Amino acid sequence: MKKILNGLFYFLKFLLLIGAFGLTLFILVRMNIRLDKSVTTIIPEIVPFILILLVFIINFIFKQKGVTDNVFYNITCCLVFTTIIVASLRAIFDTNMVLNKKYGYGIDFNFFDNFIAYIKIMVYGLSIANLFLMFREKDKDEKPKKEKKA
Amino acid sequence: MKKILLEYANIIGYTITGLIFGLSFFLLFINFYHSQELSYVADVSEYNTINKDTVSQKIATIRANLSVYNQANYSGNLNIYGLNTAQIKLEECLKIIESPEMMAYFEKKEIQLKDSYNFAVDFKNKILNDCLVMQVKSMFNTDTVSKLPNFDIIKPYVELSLNNLLSSSAYVQADLENADHYFFNTNGNRTNFFDLVNDSYSNIMNDYQDSLDLLVEISAWFKSIVIGG
Repeated sequence: MKKILNGLFYFLKFLLLIGAFGLTLFILVRMNIRLDKSVTTIIPEIVPFILILLVFIINFIFKQKGVTDNVFYNITCCLVFTTIIVASLRAIFDTNMVLNKKYGYGIDFNFFDNFIAYIKIMVYGLSIANLFLMFREKDKDEKPKKEKKA
Repeated sequence: MKKILLEYANIIGYTITGLIFGLSFFLLFINFYHSQELSYVADVSEYNTINKDTVSQKIATIRANLSVYNQANYSGNLNIYGLNTAQIKLEECLKIIESPEMMAYFEKKEIQLKDSYNFAVDFKNKILNDCLVMQVKSMFNTDTVSKLPNFDIIKPYVELSLNNLLSSSAYVQADLENADHYFFNTNGNRTNFFDLVNDSYSNIMNDYQDSLDLLVEISAWFKSIVIGG
């Protein structure tokens, strides 16, 4: 049961990461177009997403079970990306937010702008937690191999 | 030593994950709560019925005061250019007040935050700008109107009232725009302190009524000088 649940969240976190990244990128690009700014100015905002994707790829390639088999970490990843998706969708579709209509861009940049700091905190946090958890598992993996050799 | 360090790394990893879990959990649910807050519907049917009657009475009074002057029949001594200007400007104001866009607010049975905001914006654009500034303020700055009797008495009163009205609704609009950010407006807060939907609407409605009171006063001045002259 735990394995099935973990597998589900492990798969889901990749899908949600794509969704969260896509929506964030869409809103950030639209924000920059509105302000006539260069697209390169959004790089600091997309760095955490690229970083966490790299960390996930490393986890996958080196089969770091401390992260890949960690249900709590996978659930947290899903929760973080779901939160980013919900906030992004609200910035686009929640017409009860008055500035959405006022500025006439179809996106409430004012609301999303407040959320960028939280996105950075959460996604950088996940990357850092991943680094700590991947070290732990290496130690556990090594032990049985040594015992077998002996 | 290595084992202890790795144990610490494990603890730190779980601690950071736990903190991020807490933060994202909080943000996810505050988003649901905030969206519910913003979709709150207030019942204003009774309030609007009362206000509609008051506005209709004030409009009728202004219209009656303006109708005492007719250029074709006027045989008084006053400057007809001044009287014509005042009458035309006040009639323009009445047209704006009676426009379908403004009267539609009195037909609403229920309002949401965006209705309060739209009311605040329309009040600012149509009543304050198009009527009070473009018509009334400009009327009191024309040479012909300044030659009418009691102009020096009514002008300071109008200017003072205008300045008060122009600055009174700005903070309501700003408050409504700030509702886009996360905030904690509990039901208790809504009942005891400030209901963003209902109280903002009432605030703008009071300013609307004050604007009409000002127009009633100006039309009364107009009537008195026509009859007196």
